[in-house]
Amino acid sequence: MEQEILYNKIFRIVGRDFANAGTVSVKIKKILKEIGIKPEVVYRVSICCYEAEMNVIMYARFAKMDFTITSDEVIIILEDEGPGIENIELAMKEGFSTATQEMRELGFGAGLGLPNIKNNSDEFKIESELLKGTKLYFKINLN
Amino acid sequence: MQLQEIVNILECKNHTDEGLLWRDIEYCYATDMMSDVLKACKIGSLLITGLVNQQVIQVAEIMDLKAILFVSGKEPASDVIEKANEKNLPMLTTEKQLFEACGILYTFGLRGKEIFQKTDDGTGNTL
Repeated sequence: MEQEILYNKIFRIVGRDFANAGTVSVKIKKILKEIGIKPEVVYRVSICCYEAEMNVIMYARFAKMDFTITSDEVIIILEDEGPGIENIELAMKEGFSTATQEMRELGFGAGLGLPNIKNNSDEFKIESELLKGTKLYFKINLN
Repeated sequence: MQLQEIVNILECKNHTDEGLLWRDIEYCYATDMMSDVLKACKIGSLLITGLVNQQVIQVAEIMDLKAILFVSGKEPASDVIEKANEKNLPMLTTEKQLFEACGILYTFGLRGKEIFQKTDDGTGNTL
């Protein structure tokens, strides 16, 4: 059965834009709260989005975040233009990070980003091409 | 424990609206890594950190943190304080070091608690 799309919006995230880092995720959180999605789901989606957004800010040049709410789930597809991930298996390991000193000073680069998205989502896919970019797909069930 | 009590105990300086000091703090979480907060901090905790930048405010919004306590005498920049005021996020600073600040609050009964974590059957415990 075709799922009913309740909401869809495409957000743009610019790499290195530390001043606005996190604003997309905060917007998404507000939208979910206003719609009346249950708190547990709101937090899960917000945490995933924030981690994903910070990855773009820290590593990529640009990304498009396609955010959809259907009657059953929240679906996020994030496509970035950036360096890509050399070894996805390694990047998915908790504690592994390629963050620079500057990123660590901002409180990131603990090597928890991607694992945290995976842990908080019900479906998670990642594809990456070196020197081109990374595509993240994650889904969180509403119930 | 009310924030005002924490201010008294740790001899904190309050940088934001005094009216927010009535807030009740149930749980605390201490780290300098924002990813740690997103991974394990209980929603609505007091965050105790030595990391003083804008990112703390965004993370606070995501996790609905009740307040931020900066340790080691680190002072947030004026734009950070301004933003915290906009978001009604109390910001305190203490001269005490991270370990000491946490230890003192612990002796006064405050505890840490971990966020909702998915269990194997996917149902998880409550927030």
